[in-house]
Amino acid sequence: MYYLIILLVYAAVDAIACLGLSLQFGVAGVTNFGFIIFQAAGAYVAATLALPPDTANGGFQTYLGGLSLPFPLPWIGAAVAGAVLALPFTFLFGRRIRGDFAAVGLLVTAVLLNLLVTNFKQLFNGDAGVALVPAPLAQGTFVATSNGYQYGFAAAGLVLAGGVYWFVRRITESPYGRSLRAMRDNDKIADSLGKNVLALRTGALVTGGAIAGLSGAVLVSLIGAWSPAAWSYAETIVLFTAVIIGGAGNHIGAVLGAVLVPVGFEEITRFITNNNPNLPPNLLPSLQWVAIGLLIGVFLWLRPQGILPERKRVINLAAAQAGPDAQPVPAAAAAVRERPPGHSEYDDREILRANGLSRDYGGVHAVSGVSLSIERGTLTGLIGPNGAGKSTLLALLAGTEKVTSGQIVYQGRDVTPLPAFRRARAGLVRTFQLASEYKRLTVLENLISAVPGHSGDSFLGAAAGRWLWRADEERAVEKAGDLLAGFGLTGQANDYAGDLSGGQRRLVEIMRALMAEPDMLLLDEPMAGVHPELARKIGEALRLLCERGMTILMVEHELAIMDEFCDPVIVMADGSVLATGTMAQLRDRSDVVEAYLVG
Amino acid sequence: MSLLLASIGFGLITSAVLAIASVGFTLQFAVTDVLNLAFAAVMTAGAFTAYLVNQAGYSIWLGLVAALVAGAVLSVLLNYLVYTPFQRRGSAPITLVIVSLGMALIIEFGIAGIAGGVGVSYRMGQGSTVKAGGLVLTTVQLVIIAISLIVMAGVHALLRYTKLGKAMRATAANRMLARNCGIRAGRVIGITWAVTGALSGLAGTVFAIDIGTFDPTSTDIFLVLILAAVFLGGPGNAYGAMLGALVIGLSTEVSAAYIAADYKYVIAFVALLAMLAVRPSGLLGART
Repeated sequence: MYYLIILLVYAAVDAIACLGLSLQFGVAGVTNFGFIIFQAAGAYVAATLALPPDTANGGFQTYLGGLSLPFPLPWIGAAVAGAVLALPFTFLFGRRIRGDFAAVGLLVTAVLLNLLVTNFKQLFNGDAGVALVPAPLAQGTFVATSNGYQYGFAAAGLVLAGGVYWFVRRITESPYGRSLRAMRDNDKIADSLGKNVLALRTGALVTGGAIAGLSGAVLVSLIGAWSPAAWSYAETIVLFTAVIIGGAGNHIGAVLGAVLVPVGFEEITRFITNNNPNLPPNLLPSLQWVAIGLLIGVFLWLRPQGILPERKRVINLAAAQAGPDAQPVPAAAAAVRERPPGHSEYDDREILRANGLSRDYGGVHAVSGVSLSIERGTLTGLIGPNGAGKSTLLALLAGTEKVTSGQIVYQGRDVTPLPAFRRARAGLVRTFQLASEYKRLTVLENLISAVPGHSGDSFLGAAAGRWLWRADEERAVEKAGDLLAGFGLTGQANDYAGDLSGGQRRLVEIMRALMAEPDMLLLDEPMAGVHPELARKIGEALRLLCERGMTILMVEHELAIMDEFCDPVIVMADGSVLATGTMAQLRDRSDVVEAYLVG
Repeated sequence: MSLLLASIGFGLITSAVLAIASVGFTLQFAVTDVLNLAFAAVMTAGAFTAYLVNQAGYSIWLGLVAALVAGAVLSVLLNYLVYTPFQRRGSAPITLVIVSLGMALIIEFGIAGIAGGVGVSYRMGQGSTVKAGGLVLTTVQLVIIAISLIVMAGVHALLRYTKLGKAMRATAANRMLARNCGIRAGRVIGITWAVTGALSGLAGTVFAIDIGTFDPTSTDIFLVLILAAVFLGGPGNAYGAMLGALVIGLSTEVSAAYIAADYKYVIAFVALLAMLAVRPSGLLGART
């Protein structure tokens, strides 16, 4: 009976930990190979907050702290410790480092912190670890070994796990959670659409760290001791295996994984003994690890989505919006942000100016010394042969690539040092040449995710709950519904964007950019792979947007499109601007014709 | 003074072993694009293969050759049966890292299950000690350093002067482009697994010779040192890995002598995280 209760508490602890990991890995795509150190930190902090000073018990162990704090302060302290410990690691998850490098950095950290704690006895009693941690609320006859206490502890653990599930779900199903998932699917795109990727990753690391810390507190309160052997880096692998098997991104799956892997494998086999003298002495524990390794490989190959895959978030569009006569033109026009005329003191005609922009890759000058000026309300074309530097120029203007030298002035403000997401928030939004949808978000979610200023798109907004952001959400859904109807994609609204055809994905990308309410749109070959008839419709929609005050700079290879819609047109070759003018003017210039029109 | 020299001596040997492993790891990553965390487990497999040969009554140097072959075969199998199928399917790099961790567990604890997880040693003499200045090294240690130097020179010659090396560098820089230029990238990658796998088998055996007594989990911490050396020099950069191995090997052993042996790995840890924070492309820069 005692054993069963212990098992229940272990299940609760592992479920809490797996929920934290599921939020980080499954939802936010942050691969934290050092997850166990956050649980360990929580356990140590909870232990030393609850323990008396280390001179007690004859001073047989040494540790920092020893504050004899009453329950629940040690548990709260553990969660805070897990959250605070996450902060120094956020630098690993900036925009500059590949996700797998950051994961390796955390793995190495986990191994070495374990070594450090093992050897530095003054901190947490070194190798032996801290022991005699007081059981919470154990007083008088209500002692830790009594049946009543054990039942109570198990019940409290399960309730706590339920609470963590409720909280993690609340975060995940909010607009903030949607942003986390968008970042997981494609962080570069999220950045270009105004998401602060570093802040989102920090949020996931800190929240997951707090949850891991809490799980450590529950565990240490149950077993009363905590030592480096309890948190080897391999324990992280066990938790990862649980989340992968259960279903990354599905929190019920994470709980299921916790029951199957850490509880099922580790705790139960702990009680199977190897009595056969013919077998090697540690065959069973070894096989246990081999099985974990096999599970990882087999599941990632056969069922990478896990037993319970991530749920599809279906959002119902009001049926009325799907009128058959809907057209992209008026729908797109709705995306233009209303703004009072003459609202600033700078030259209102010019929205964007580049002064001597250059970008080198190694020794290659992809863009060199480009200066240009874009007038408000124009639909400017950008043409040039392959390798002319068109896409690089777009990237420099949007901030997804850093300039080597030069200056970019947008709306009268020097935006050169601003990262892409800040420029996007200022209304300068780009699209990409290659398909860039969030694959595991539905079409509708792709669109809604780009809406700026959504009250649910922050950690606090998400934690506050649906009542706070319902109105914003409904407005966003309605607007997205109009766009989808206009572009004829209402029927695909709840399909995963990754399942669409190439042409449909282009449309999703344009619509998503429009949802971001740009003042200036940088489009990289928006009509590539789109049916010619639809391409014309898109062209018309873009022209109408410009008439209503939006400014568009568009890279396009199709000269017929340029002829019909774009004025002026900028010609680039070898990283520089060759000429600017109407298509008719350009056709008269021999250098342009030579560089591009003829080939 | 003699303490410093002695620790430098230890550092040189650690660097020599580390350099073989780090160059193998970094080349493997550069060409195949797999951050193979099972590398240290393959080292262990090599070391135990050498142990089996040694136990059968043969010289450890013959065991070393067997380890080379075992490391190459195991790595080629890992690539052929596991990593390439995942890459063909378009799995994210991080998925492959997780898979490689799984493979590490299977290999390491598979060996532990069979070998019993107790420490074993090769049967070999250490040879006479050689004194040069204040440095005291055994013949075996000198042989390890010589092997390492030969490997470094060999890798340099391979990358610099052979067609295969050129193809490897081209594949590392841009696999698609290399393929379009007529380089059979699949074959280059296969050969790279064999070569770097042989290096890991070799590294595992000299590592085991160096530490004297080893068990299946001995290489766990060594993997951290490999990663530190590789990231210090710039992931994917063979010369960076050599430099990184020298820096990490010397600094861990010298700090062990002057600070405390228990904390000697901390310096590798700090080096790794500092590089990731300040200069993710490593000391010698590299592909990103």
